[in-house]
Amino acid sequence: MPASVIGALGSAFVLLLLIWVIGNFSQDPSEFLNVFLIGLTNGAVYGLIALGYTLVYGILQLINFAHGDVFALGGLVASTMILSVFDLTTTSGAGIVIVAVAATLAVAMLFSSMLNTAIELVAYRRLRNAPRLAPLITAVGMSFILQNVGLIGWGVNFTSVPRLIPNSVAFSLGSVDFQWNKLAVLLLTFPVLLGLTYLVRATRQGKAMRATSQDPEAAAMMGVNVNRTISFTFMLAGGLAGAAGVLYLLNFTTIRYDQGFQLGLIAFTAAVLGGIGNLTGALVGALTIGLIEAFNEGLTWYTPGSDWTRSIVFSLLIAILVFRPEGLLGERTPEGQ
Amino acid sequence: MAEQSGNVVLSLEDVHTYYGSIHALKGVSLEVREGEIVTLIGANGAGKSTTLRSINGLNHPREGAIRFQGREITKDPAHAIVKSGIAQSPEGRRLFPRMSVLENLEMGAFQREDRTTFKEDVDRVFELFPRLAERRNQKAGTMSGGEQQMCAIGRALMARPKLLLLDEPSMGLAPIFVEKIFEIVREINAQGTPILLVEQNALMALDAASRGYVLETGRIALEGPAKDLRENEQVRKTYLGEG
Repeated sequence: MPASVIGALGSAFVLLLLIWVIGNFSQDPSEFLNVFLIGLTNGAVYGLIALGYTLVYGILQLINFAHGDVFALGGLVASTMILSVFDLTTTSGAGIVIVAVAATLAVAMLFSSMLNTAIELVAYRRLRNAPRLAPLITAVGMSFILQNVGLIGWGVNFTSVPRLIPNSVAFSLGSVDFQWNKLAVLLLTFPVLLGLTYLVRATRQGKAMRATSQDPEAAAMMGVNVNRTISFTFMLAGGLAGAAGVLYLLNFTTIRYDQGFQLGLIAFTAAVLGGIGNLTGALVGALTIGLIEAFNEGLTWYTPGSDWTRSIVFSLLIAILVFRPEGLLGERTPEGQ
Repeated sequence: MAEQSGNVVLSLEDVHTYYGSIHALKGVSLEVREGEIVTLIGANGAGKSTTLRSINGLNHPREGAIRFQGREITKDPAHAIVKSGIAQSPEGRRLFPRMSVLENLEMGAFQREDRTTFKEDVDRVFELFPRLAERRNQKAGTMSGGEQQMCAIGRALMARPKLLLLDEPSMGLAPIFVEKIFEIVREINAQGTPILLVEQNALMALDAASRGYVLETGRIALEGPAKDLRENEQVRKTYLGEG
């Protein structure tokens, strides 16, 4: 097909989508905004995971398929902290809950960042100069190992934690309700993202990361310790996955050893959608997917419904890979063609 | 080399380096002294770039020793070697394409601890290469080859090197740029930085250098003052396309 035909089809599709969104909005504006908020919250959690994919890809051109499982193990460790260490229940006082959740977040992030750094050290570092397929397959293998660690450690069933952050209404704008649990996710995610952006754009470590991702050998010639920079990147990605694990657990209250696979795939799709290697892109992709899911499951006017959510998300992945492999915000680079 | 009086800055002693299973350097010995421009010439694949990669820590020698200012650096990692004072403008420039000229220069100063003199050094680079000052905010990947070469040399200077390695600075450049680059190489040297210059353009290199080495399939085939090499029958035939 010539590019013009594809372009026309794409434009027609976007137009239909816009009509559909506006149509749904006019059916019930307040319900639309409630659904929008759900999408934003889920998208934020996906975003934290997607950033990990994109950070690691940016620096090693490796899709770290074990990343979703780092997220799941982070969530499982958090569940142990909440249930066994702090022994929290729904009746625990607000002060205790806040302190315990903060401590849980710190422990889960620390655990996941150390785990991810260790994975790079053990599994990927010695394959640095191997053909690209070798570390990729190793990543898939690592994913299986982590899932089985989760299975042995926490069993085959869902681990449930009490709903610590209530889903009661924090405040309302018109008839749109902002619930505490969703608000907490957004309030925790956005500072993390701002901090990350600052780190990558403005700090010495961030400069080392950018230089290494553009040309590792040239970076070494400038005095960048490339190995340490790569370790730091994995640490950062792991920390974000750990934070996502805690937020996911707080929001949905259950987690299981194999959930990293699914969430990981969605986050990977988000990273590709936005343009893998591009930080802003990962976030845009994740919010887009969060919104697509929420709209599809929550809206009523000409909506396929929740049976179709997976199909829609992964059709999107295929469409992006075929028509715009560099993603929404990615740049066309010689090595990326 | 009795007429050279400066202290030895860099010395390679019987260096053997492998590229995978290929024995790329088969016992290379050379030295660079204070105040010198030393050039390393040779055909494609003779081992010129491998020699530089052995020095800068990207491809450690398997045998032999490399000393810099009297200290052995043979097995030091690349980033430590930069810190000890060896900076490089690599073959093919290797700028960070999605960073601006200024950010590239900043990367050149990455390992330096004193940030106070940064501005001063940027000004010095811009003085050497006024063209870069005009393009300070342009992405390095979008500049012409000549401008990129200037930026790569400027970036290496930002490290305030005690030894500068230049790998093929004239490659792919228009003749007018080649003249300009060599002029600046001399100027940098005159300001006190010893230079090890790897070049395929043997004529220009021997004109600029005080001494030279001729590398053939991983071995030093000839060495001597640049003007002697310039007159050497074999060099003239093989590398200068004369006689």
